[in-house]
Amino acid sequence: MLHAEHITCGYGDKPVVQDLSFSAQSGQILCILGANGCGKTTLLRAVSGLLPSTGSITAAGLDLRTAPRRQVAQTVAFLSQLSNLYFSYTVYQTVEMGRYAHRSPGLFGGAAPGDGEMVRSCLEQTGLWELRDQPITALSGGQLQRVFLARVFAQDPKIILLDEPTNHLDLKYQIELMEQLRRWVAPGDRCVVGVLHDVNLALNYADQLLLMQEGRALCQTSAQALDPALLDQIYGLDVRGYMRSALKRWE
Amino acid sequence: MSRFSRPARFGLLCLAALAAVLLGIGVGSVPISPGEIFQVLANKLWGAALPEQMNPVIPGLVWSIRLPRVLLSFFVGASLAVSGAVMQSLLQNPLASSYGLGVSSGAGLGAAVLIVTGVADSAAGTFLLPAVCLCCGLATMGGALSISTRLDRNLSNNTIILIGMVLSLFLNAIMTTLSSANPDYTQRITLWQLGSLSMKTWQQLGPVALAALVCILAFCRLAPELDLLSFGEEQASAIGMERKRIKWLLVLLVALLTGTAVAFVGVIGFVDLVAPHIVRRIFGPSHRMLIPACAVFGGGFLSLCDLAARTLASPSEIPIGSITALIGAPFFLYIFFSSRKEAR
Repeated sequence: MLHAEHITCGYGDKPVVQDLSFSAQSGQILCILGANGCGKTTLLRAVSGLLPSTGSITAAGLDLRTAPRRQVAQTVAFLSQLSNLYFSYTVYQTVEMGRYAHRSPGLFGGAAPGDGEMVRSCLEQTGLWELRDQPITALSGGQLQRVFLARVFAQDPKIILLDEPTNHLDLKYQIELMEQLRRWVAPGDRCVVGVLHDVNLALNYADQLLLMQEGRALCQTSAQALDPALLDQIYGLDVRGYMRSALKRWE
Repeated sequence: MSRFSRPARFGLLCLAALAAVLLGIGVGSVPISPGEIFQVLANKLWGAALPEQMNPVIPGLVWSIRLPRVLLSFFVGASLAVSGAVMQSLLQNPLASSYGLGVSSGAGLGAAVLIVTGVADSAAGTFLLPAVCLCCGLATMGGALSISTRLDRNLSNNTIILIGMVLSLFLNAIMTTLSSANPDYTQRITLWQLGSLSMKTWQQLGPVALAALVCILAFCRLAPELDLLSFGEEQASAIGMERKRIKWLLVLLVALLTGTAVAFVGVIGFVDLVAPHIVRRIFGPSHRMLIPACAVFGGGFLSLCDLAARTLASPSEIPIGSITALIGAPFFLYIFFSSRKEAR
């Protein structure tokens, strides 16, 4: 569904990601794992077309590097971690913005037919219908991230890219968010590609894992077939040992 | 206010702005009633007969002096308020100002040069002054943007704000030096900087009204893009907006709107900062409502400020920039401290 080949990208003259290839299949969640600064977010920004890159990135027959933003947004949506809010839009208004790419771009372009039903369905799906008239500045972090997830759903893409969306969220909200994404890919014609800091969360929800080290792909593997030694290599510590000792304290 | 629906609130705002305009025309050394104002308008527009008992001074006073002045203040207020709202959303900074791109400093320097060289007082000065001010304002903005683009290809908000500020301070310093080197013109340059709507006619109103109507309508059309930009450029781009193209378009329109207003009436501060905040509190942040409401509110607000400027110390006139700053400065502090409280 998403094929990225020989991607090189970065900021200024220095490439952060070098000659990296991976692919994501329909109906699956692919998690990108790697230490801080290894280029995970940079790779994601390149895949979404927000950062110029060399190589080839195609999704659902579309060249994401060169296609107009509107077309890219109809195929790929981006959910990032929470950032500052300056203006108090309502929950409904915020989610409705997700329909932007589906509206006609002409001088008199307005809401497309079916926009209202789509927004309502996304709000209901994320349990936000009752909060639709609330200003987003009055919401908790968990509720706010749900609003942005609803906006991503309203965008009706084929692929959702996640850039550490569970940061600053309680465990309950992290699981809730991942469960919703799991349900979203279930029909089999969509996929999720995400950067998650929490290895546990990634191992629990990912079908595929892409391990990155110093801007390059170490390997792409299914979550079940992951060699734990590779995790130790990319994080530079005994990951299993750490998890065992944490679990021991509980037991 | 919250018990009224948004369209009802907009209707009330329009009525309040109309009342401000009528007050602006009616109050003065010769008081004129709303009835008399409408009679004069009907006479001038549709040739209706004037009542015989009407003071013969009134038709000329309404049509040639007060109406163009009030309409000019309305369109300038609308332009500044709307451009302020757009800049705040574009830069995601509630304290951003439409003058932030250096338009006012460039125009100010242009005006100072024309005043000092005596060109402003020549026969062509009436039209040359606004034309040069507009060109200098737009050139400054162009300079600020071209330096910003060279330093930062992505044209990030912080770069624009910093370069705009540095360039403004630099040009203001040149203007201050010019002003102190020519003490005979210091007062005139200072008064120009504070803005004035006196002695303005239909000729000055035309370009300001045209720029206001065209740019404000364009901003209404760009309301969805402005909403997206309020969440940050990267999010706007991820939702499907052509970031650079739209940003350039918005910046150019703001520069044209502010530049035209400044060119004809001088620098009038704080309307662009204050009006969008008040309007957002009444109508919410959605630009579909914010842009037209800012236009009406800013227009009505500046009409009232101009009324205060010409009547409070009558027969002399207080610079309108002082009136707007007297109201705007405490409000600026209020916004600053309340946002700090929220941040805690």
